Amino acid sequence: MPVNVDPALPSRSVASLSRRGFLRALAATGAWAVGGSLLAACQPAAPPPAAPAAPTTAAAAQPTSAPATSAPAAQATAAPAPQPTRAPTTVATVAPAAAKPASTGPLKLGVLLPFSQVYAQLGADILDGMNLYFEGIGNKAGGRDVQIVKEDEGVDPAPAVQKVRKLIEQDQVELFTGIVSTPIAYGARDLLHNAKVISVISNAGGNDLTRGRKSPYIFRVSFSAWQVAYPLGEWEAKNLTKKVVITAADYGFGRESAAAFKQSYEQNGGTVLKEIYPKFPNNDYAPNLPEIQAANPEATYNFYSGSDAVNFVKQYNDFGLKKTIKLTGSGFLLEEDVLPAQGEAALGGISSLHWAKTLDNPENTQFVASWRAKYKREPSVFAMQGFDAARVIVEALNKVSGNTADKDALVKAMEGVKFSSPRGAFEFDPATHNVINPIYLREVRLVDGKPGNVVTATLGTIKDPGA
Amino acid sequence: MTAVLAPTARRPGGARRWLVGAGWLALALLPFLGLPPFVISSATQVLIYAMVAMSLDLLLGYTGLTSLGHAGFFGAGAYAAGLCALRFSAELPLTMLAALAVALACGLLVGALTVRAQGMQFLMLTLAFSQMLFAIAFKWTWLTGGANGLAGIPRPSLLGLSLADARAYYLATLAACALTALVLRTVVRSPFGQALVGIRENEARMQALGYPTWRYKWAAFGLAAALAGLAGAFLAGFNGFVAPSDLDWTTSGLLLIMAVLGGAGTLVGPALGAAIVLLLQTWLGSLPGLGERWPMVMGLVFMAFVIAGRGGAGGVPRRPVAWGAVLGLARRLSGR
Amino acid sequence: MPPELVPLALQLLNALAFSMLLFQLAAGLSLIFGLLRFVNLAHGAFYMLGGYLGLALAQASGSFWLALAGVPVGVGLAGLGLEVVLLRPLYRRPHLEQVLLTFGLAFVLGDVVRLLWGGEVRSVAPPPELAGAAFLPGLGVGYPRYRLFVIASGLVLAGLFWLLQARTRLGAIVRAGVQDPEMVAALGIDVGRLFTAVFAFGVGLAAYSGVIAAPYQSLQLGMDFEALLLALIVVVIGGLGTLRGAFFGALLVGTADTFGKAAFPDYSLLVISALMAAVLISRPAGLFGRSLG
Repeated sequence: MPVNVDPALPSRSVASLSRRGFLRALAATGAWAVGGSLLAACQPAAPPPAAPAAPTTAAAAQPTSAPATSAPAAQATAAPAPQPTRAPTTVATVAPAAAKPASTGPLKLGVLLPFSQVYAQLGADILDGMNLYFEGIGNKAGGRDVQIVKEDEGVDPAPAVQKVRKLIEQDQVELFTGIVSTPIAYGARDLLHNAKVISVISNAGGNDLTRGRKSPYIFRVSFSAWQVAYPLGEWEAKNLTKKVVITAADYGFGRESAAAFKQSYEQNGGTVLKEIYPKFPNNDYAPNLPEIQAANPEATYNFYSGSDAVNFVKQYNDFGLKKTIKLTGSGFLLEEDVLPAQGEAALGGISSLHWAKTLDNPENTQFVASWRAKYKREPSVFAMQGFDAARVIVEALNKVSGNTADKDALVKAMEGVKFSSPRGAFEFDPATHNVINPIYLREVRLVDGKPGNVVTATLGTIKDPGA
Repeated sequence: MTAVLAPTARRPGGARRWLVGAGWLALALLPFLGLPPFVISSATQVLIYAMVAMSLDLLLGYTGLTSLGHAGFFGAGAYAAGLCALRFSAELPLTMLAALAVALACGLLVGALTVRAQGMQFLMLTLAFSQMLFAIAFKWTWLTGGANGLAGIPRPSLLGLSLADARAYYLATLAACALTALVLRTVVRSPFGQALVGIRENEARMQALGYPTWRYKWAAFGLAAALAGLAGAFLAGFNGFVAPSDLDWTTSGLLLIMAVLGGAGTLVGPALGAAIVLLLQTWLGSLPGLGERWPMVMGLVFMAFVIAGRGGAGGVPRRPVAWGAVLGLARRLSGR
Repeated sequence: MPPELVPLALQLLNALAFSMLLFQLAAGLSLIFGLLRFVNLAHGAFYMLGGYLGLALAQASGSFWLALAGVPVGVGLAGLGLEVVLLRPLYRRPHLEQVLLTFGLAFVLGDVVRLLWGGEVRSVAPPPELAGAAFLPGLGVGYPRYRLFVIASGLVLAGLFWLLQARTRLGAIVRAGVQDPEMVAALGIDVGRLFTAVFAFGVGLAAYSGVIAAPYQSLQLGMDFEALLLALIVVVIGGLGTLRGAFFGALLVGTADTFGKAAFPDYSLLVISALMAAVLISRPAGLFGRSLG
């Protein structure tokens, strides 16, 4: 140790803990830590959460004072659900939200959607779709006014899941809906499942959400990656070409879409010449285009969404590939949210999706018309999903007369929801709680002078295998 | 022209000690006040980030190393703990150990390659390495779950007793936070810590005095990384999942904001900064109207803090408005 | 040209186009650091602002060229105002504080863009003169005209800057200021005004690169921090504060990225990070930078 000759540096004796002092402090902290944790862990279940308005305490197992209920049926089920004992699994529990009889007063609906950063437009579309439906039916579900509590999903999972926690624990929402991003859905899944908050997922399309990670309380009204991509494989192998190059954004959803397409494409005799997975996100696909050309396919199947889709389609066109190699892909490659930016570069593109703006059925015609009248812009598939999500909530609650305390009844009611949606017939698969989707084949053509998706065929009613 | 001493070189003033002691007491009693569980959860989150921010302060405030890659070690520890809990054992001591080991290894490796660089170069090097860690987390789906992250991580248990209850987990996190603070405080007051301050003030002079500054910086870097990883273990248990964005350079930037906002070079400051930033993020975002403009508000608040803060000679603003105001109030209350 | 070499030639063109884009993006950052000695972390935000303003102006006036000329000037003036009001009071303080201030500014600007333009992905069409593909002699396939324009713009700008720097009095002052600001002040030159001018110019340049990039890529939220990261990487690899560094750093990063994307499409982030680490470890000041005290 060099001798301390510099007078500006303090000498050794200043405020340094002796070794014994340090060890003593360490032992004290450790003992207190272990003791405290054991003490807390051994206590009976936490007292019921405070009333939503102010953080007051409430005595255990006491029914919170509810205003006079109108329906006797609601009264009978208004008794607080028994305090849950320590959860059988070691996954984090949440203080019971079910202690509060939830059958009267406004229905608190928790909404987590992106309102900032890269997916902001999707969040806006979904919420607007929901509001369009709610307003159309007088904003009542099961006889109760719908009260939306919304939080910004952003793009990172950590803060988003914290917001879900807030919605459940602090705001005590009775139902939950939303989630655009699949990683965030995966992150929030356990929270929602353990709190037994019935959730209507309006976008996140990762396959696993209704397969390995499914939950009786989680329903999905949007799609699974597999559902949208699988039917196109068969169609292309039979009707387009047997030589294809697959490119997809390198992340979960992109890979799942590509895999589903490849599966049915090869099953029907097609050959995948090459698979390219550029990084996600990406601004410049030019380095990958020569490779596509070199493989000499007759068509390409691509998955990109958002600005990646805009960049890819534009660059595909700029470099002249579109003239000789047919552009096909998942519906999100060429959907209403990106078509305006893609412009004429998208013309001729073929895709598969569970909806198209020009879909010709009475519900869709009305949906598009009322959307345009209210919001003065064009709807997208995300808007339609929000619309359907709202309808699912309303129909299920109508069946149980607005009682959200009886979870099993509500789950059963929701499973049985069936109606005519702008996409066609809507129903859930009771085994997975994923929607059973009609999948359409669309081509981008000029519609009223602007590029739009025209439905050219129906590829079938597709149920996600669930395994 | 004598060098300006870091505040911690002097014996801490009475007001500050009193304040800090009261703070710890209040934190310890928090779960028993019957507060709603979300408040306890928020507090746990604050403690976790406070731990990381404090570990960053060792580098930023005391050694003068501005690292834009600190979240890399935070996230690496989180992944290690998560994998341990998922595949091996959810016992808290084991997950903590896994996190510490992995983060320390990463820290020593990256540190060896980066601490010789100065200023801006060091900043960019730490950025580069944390981006590499991010790329690994994103790509090695078989290990980390890739872009979807590592989900379904069970809450750790302590000696067989589950910490699933929010308050129990809070206390465990508080204990770890206290431990981190204790370790850092000891290090900072020790001759080693004084040497770090000397390196921050004038590395050339320290070298002339015979100190192997490279090794000191390396050790500090490794320690800071290890402590960040420890915090990561608690993050994994808290959220129940880990995502690549926990390692991202934007998270590192957020950590820097926390450290600077609270007052780098004081250890307590960054903890305070973490509280401010997280509470702003959680509660501001819910306010109608204002919530949508959260990034703008955050940016303006940050700018205000930077402008109002009084800069220290070490190149890092010390005791900006927040901490100064609190201290001033404490002094007035204690009659000094 | 033999057909086997065409993909390689295409990739080289791609690399050159991307490099010139990067150069135009990074030059302003390097310039500001060179003279003002801090990293403007709002650089990406100004780039994004330039892109969106370019979209607005091009749509309003119908002319892309007007946008290309007007937006940098407008944003540069805004930068001038910001410098005088926010940054000047901080010059006596350590540089980290100025960096942190620009960090906060980046958040604010990013949110302003979101407020004004919303979350939709936007696209700018290149002007009709630059649309479509050009058939380069010997290549056999077309190459987008707009990318050729980006290359030309980059080279022209590089040449202009070099001329300005090497042959004009202003350039000499700036070079001197980079070397020794106190001496320059001692010689009676108003360093304050010089700093303001250079900051405004650097910011205007960022906006210009935003307009240029808009038809090349698309406009969306989050592009500010992406661009900032890239610009930082280029400038650090090339050497902070030197124009030559920005140019050759951009060439290196652009080429590595393009060929990295072609060879390992999913690992390109790793490639760039590893490149940066390798350069910094072997030459801490960057390829052309001078080691800073």
